[in-house]
Amino acid sequence: MELARIEKLLAAYFEGNTSLEEEKSLRKYFTSDTVAPQLKEYQSIFEGFHSAQHEVSQRELIIPDNSVFKIKALWYGIAASAIVAIVIGSFVFSGPSMSHEEREALMAFNKSKEAMLLLSKNFNNGAGQLATLNQFTESKNRILK
Amino acid sequence: MKQKDFVATVLPFKDKLYRLAKRLLVSSDEAEDAVQEVYLKLWKGREVIHKYKSPEAFAMTMTKNYCLDRLKSKQASNLKIVHSNYQNHENLDKQIDINDGVSLVFKIMETLPEKQRIILQLRDVEAFEYSEISEMLDMSETAIRVALSRARKTVRDQIIKKHKYGIS
Repeated sequence: MELARIEKLLAAYFEGNTSLEEEKSLRKYFTSDTVAPQLKEYQSIFEGFHSAQHEVSQRELIIPDNSVFKIKALWYGIAASAIVAIVIGSFVFSGPSMSHEEREALMAFNKSKEAMLLLSKNFNNGAGQLATLNQFTESKNRILK
Repeated sequence: MKQKDFVATVLPFKDKLYRLAKRLLVSSDEAEDAVQEVYLKLWKGREVIHKYKSPEAFAMTMTKNYCLDRLKSKQASNLKIVHSNYQNHENLDKQIDINDGVSLVFKIMETLPEKQRIILQLRDVEAFEYSEISEMLDMSETAIRVALSRARKTVRDQIIKKHKYGIS
């Protein structure tokens, strides 16, 4: 590559006015063996950046495995549904004893209803007999007018 | 998002995050810690990661913020002195491997202000476009060019100074 072009690029480089392409060609020139003697002092800059590109991380990354969380979540789900099942089950199975009591209560209710009906029937009878008493008062009024 | 998809999305730029963290924190151990921390945060936010235009830019921003926070808390707790002692040993080892000029560039970079260091790393090492850097750092492209030019000139002046005196 001609020297004049490199020198022009170099000047632009230090002003921050080079494109990535131009910087690439600068780097290529300075990492080659044909660097002009008057430009030798710039060589270490580009060699330094070039070697910095090849530094790599040596340590293995630890990334949490989410399958562990998923299994845990699954167990939480199972535990929760078991609790719900037990609660519902206890209501269902304690059901018959409740209805036994209810049956007794219903029987008692029916009996008391029967008793009430009997009472009201007899009361009506009594009220019917009182009607004849009214007749007695009427005829008495007619006579004593 | 499953672990496999997550890894496929975020693993390709792991080394870039590491290099940025290393440029800022200097120690490779701390840089590895920072990368791990950033990945845990990304994992926690994995359901929203696709909402970002570029998960890579998002991760770079997170790494930058994390490292700057680390530096701030380190400065506050005075750990920096202990740390820079440790760093000297590492640099000594490095000098045996790479030639002096190259390690000199790293040393000069360490003296740059953090913002310039980040920009130099993103542009001259990772070769990001100005628009991408602007998104990562929430800075205008003009401001980035100015900071970059300043950083490049500082590196150049320091190198030339060392060359003149023949010390490295």
